[in-house]
Amino acid sequence: MSEYLGIALFFVVAGAIVATFVALASVLGPKKPSPPKLEPFECGKLPFALPAGRLSVKFYLTAILFILFDVELVFLYPWAVVYRRLGALGLVEMVIFLGVLMVGFYYAWDNGALDWQ
Amino acid sequence: MTDLRVIAPELVLSVVAMGLVVVARHIRRARAAASCVVIAGACAAVSAVWLESSSSGFGGTVANDSAARYFHVLFATTLALTALLSVRHLDAERIPPGEFCALLLLATTGMMLAGSAAELLVLYLGLELMTLCSYVLVGVARDRPTSNEAAIKYFLLGSFASALLLYGIGLTYGMTGATEFTAIASAVSSRNLGQEPLLLVGVALVAAGLAFKIAAVPFHAWAPDAYQGASAPVAAFLSAGSKATGLAALIRVGLVAFAPEQRIWSALLLGLAVLSMIIGTLIAVSQTNLKRLLAYSSVAHAGYALLGLIPGTPDGASATMTYAFVYAFMTLGAFGVVTGLGQRGEELAGYHGLAAVAPVRAALMLLFLLSLTGIPPTAGFMAKFAVILSAVEAGYIAVAVLAVLCTAVSAFFYLRVAVLMYMTESQGLAPARFPAGVSAALAVAASVIILGGLFPDSFRAWTVPP
Repeated sequence: MSEYLGIALFFVVAGAIVATFVALASVLGPKKPSPPKLEPFECGKLPFALPAGRLSVKFYLTAILFILFDVELVFLYPWAVVYRRLGALGLVEMVIFLGVLMVGFYYAWDNGALDWQ
Repeated sequence: MTDLRVIAPELVLSVVAMGLVVVARHIRRARAAASCVVIAGACAAVSAVWLESSSSGFGGTVANDSAARYFHVLFATTLALTALLSVRHLDAERIPPGEFCALLLLATTGMMLAGSAAELLVLYLGLELMTLCSYVLVGVARDRPTSNEAAIKYFLLGSFASALLLYGIGLTYGMTGATEFTAIASAVSSRNLGQEPLLLVGVALVAAGLAFKIAAVPFHAWAPDAYQGASAPVAAFLSAGSKATGLAALIRVGLVAFAPEQRIWSALLLGLAVLSMIIGTLIAVSQTNLKRLLAYSSVAHAGYALLGLIPGTPDGASATMTYAFVYAFMTLGAFGVVTGLGQRGEELAGYHGLAAVAPVRAALMLLFLLSLTGIPPTAGFMAKFAVILSAVEAGYIAVAVLAVLCTAVSAFFYLRVAVLMYMTESQGLAPARFPAGVSAALAVAASVIILGGLFPDSFRAWTVPP
């Protein structure tokens, strides 16, 4: 456990310094609140959109399709490493696996997930 | 190839499901998709029972003993009956039938895999396949806000429960170095890990994750909202299938993997059973929506079913297996009547004077309600008697008395529906005729309940615990 002592100390000291500065600023700092100071950005312009912005719902489909191919790759890499030792059966099994994934891809395609309109 | 034979029912269902996914956009009529599902379910049941194969496959991770076959048949029947119930419903709610039926098939595949898993990770895989499909099935009526709300609630609580189960699996693996059920048991007894606190935490977390699937208190909060928001056939599927899956997993995990931990396992199940019976029964009394009432009744029934697992004996487990089977048909029948009556069937007020305008349907509902209460000529009595008897034989007299008391209270809210049907003035017109699919499903459920009640020993040959 002793090797973690340094990290623990680091966290404690860092937390203490941050807490000190926040406390000092709130105790010593002058407080003259005015409406512009309470805005999210003190730049004089009114914010007119949420900070995160809005995302088109179409990206959700793209993300889902990404996961499909992501999963495929996760399994293809280790399979490729031991490909020679698996022999013909390994190839057949991987083709079946890809076929199952392609069923999902075909479904998405068939229902127009790839049309950006 | 022998390995593939072990999971033949699962293969049948998943191949049909993928076929449905491919042609989903071109299926317009729910009847075509539903008949595919019924045929697939029948093939799966037949292959589960009659296909000769070894007693386990995939290196001992998937069991193929009589308990696995028993639950395969149960899940295949649940699937077929749900498909029959949902035909008219899909058209009425404008739910795409191909996708709906594919999800039903895949959820059942998960149930079957979980029912025959002899290893914690295969069990987790099966349970996840079932619940992921169930989330979508609950929210499949996209036009209805209540359906979406139910799906979100179910998803959030369900993923939390999955995480608990996974933590439990992780801790168990960490302490025993094994995920196969038999290897866990032998590691615990040979290395004398019985009192290790981390292993006890792991056992408790696994029990909690599985208790969520059977909706036992305090892991029941999802059930009323999910059942109410989901369409009635989906609610029937969840209450019959999800509960049987959880019980199958609890039986196998409790009898095989955590057999050396019998004391803590019994204590956990005892707590779950007592809480479920009391809270499920008491809250059901005040419900006015029939789906919510059946949801709380399913919570209480989870408690009764757990009674058989508390002693940790094969006889008790066999009683619980019978209970899972009988409960599936009772709840499918009751939800089937709700489905057939449509909007009118959702609220208790819709049952005023039903016997005068639709005597056969009222009689069927009465049969299912009597069976849910546990009144003698029905299978519900036989099943409940068996689980209470196993608790008494193991010396849990107080719990058995409590179960009988809860049954007496539950008669109030079940038979209140019967009183409304038979002893009040009819309001409005007779409901429309039941669709053919619903009638067929109700006939199957009713005959199982009557025959099971008349020949109580007929289950005994089938319910052989692992």
